[in-house]
Amino acid sequence: MTEESTRQITFKVQRYDPEQDNTPHFQEFIVPSSRGMTVLDGLLYIKENLDSSLAFRTSCRMSICGSCAMFVNCYPHLACHTQIEELHADKLTIKSLPNLPTIKDLVPSLDPLFKNHKLIKPYIIRRDTEEMENPTAEFGQLPQALNTFLQFSYCIKCGICVAACPTSASDKLFLGPQAMAQCYHYCADSRDEGELERFPVVGSEHGVWHCHLAGACSEACPKGVDPALAIQLLKRRLTSQALRLGKKQPPASLLPLPTKTKDKIPFPEFTAKGTR
Amino acid sequence: MRNTYLWILQLVTGVLIAVFLGIHMVIQHLDAILDFFGVNVTEPTSWASMIDRASQGIWVGLYIALLAVGLYHGANGLRNIILESTPSARTGRIVTWLIAAFGIIFFIGGTYVPVSLLVS
Repeated sequence: MTEESTRQITFKVQRYDPEQDNTPHFQEFIVPSSRGMTVLDGLLYIKENLDSSLAFRTSCRMSICGSCAMFVNCYPHLACHTQIEELHADKLTIKSLPNLPTIKDLVPSLDPLFKNHKLIKPYIIRRDTEEMENPTAEFGQLPQALNTFLQFSYCIKCGICVAACPTSASDKLFLGPQAMAQCYHYCADSRDEGELERFPVVGSEHGVWHCHLAGACSEACPKGVDPALAIQLLKRRLTSQALRLGKKQPPASLLPLPTKTKDKIPFPEFTAKGTR
Repeated sequence: MRNTYLWILQLVTGVLIAVFLGIHMVIQHLDAILDFFGVNVTEPTSWASMIDRASQGIWVGLYIALLAVGLYHGANGLRNIILESTPSARTGRIVTWLIAAFGIIFFIGGTYVPVSLLVS
């Protein structure tokens, strides 16, 4: 790193050890930052050179795993996906994700997120249980049907949408944008028949009807998923179901098994006849 | 699905309030508009005019309907705001029943006078 291209950035990092501290406090570190360096690179620099006791989650370093979600300068980001330069600040205040309990330092507990995620049964539900348990073939799905929910399948469960959501901040029992977007994802899947099992969960007092429609979840999502849209579409499905409106499409049927293909061209006989 | 029905009703009552309140405003407070359309309402806010309307079933019906939809819309809205900060489902149920009880009491109180006037 040359001196011209290096800036000294102050990392004001939240420290919290539940075994020693009653409340979180902050600790400052000076980190040399160069062009292209991410917030995660800065935290790794601190861990390797300044304080090895700093706790944070990280894995893929390419915004696929969703481990390094944290609150950087009062906004939830993936640390590996956020360059220090783009924040235009000499001081970065880094905290654990809000609306989720903190385990240690910058490590949030994702238990509430996954608890709500499980509640909405995030898997294909079919009435033909025999086929589900002992599958014989694939369910057919057209590309148009796939496009109705494809963007919601990009969710990496990082918790950023929950951290950004103002309703999650005020209502501790709120299901959260992540779970509701995943609920829409599976309800909109043409292979699924589990709508009626999920609707009592999302149609509850702390479900879709409590969304303030702030859109903060969609704005913050690092993967471009639009949970606010999913919640609105889920409201439409709930209303249609309650008023018995709209025509119910039959679920995708099984694709026929591949027909027997022609016999393969026989493997050439390499063995010379004379050698037998 | 109970909350879905409650929310659908919240939207329907919102529209009905706009209609009923619109009729009320035009008749009571915006009589200049009626004048423009050639309808002459003489002193709509006077005591005599009010008692005259209270003796007509259609007006009593309209005001009772306005009271019902307004009470439902307000009470359910208040319930949703309070439920957001209730820590448990049990507290939520208590809030719901309390608000429902207050709504019924206010409805009975609000309808007693016009109904008794209509009957007498």
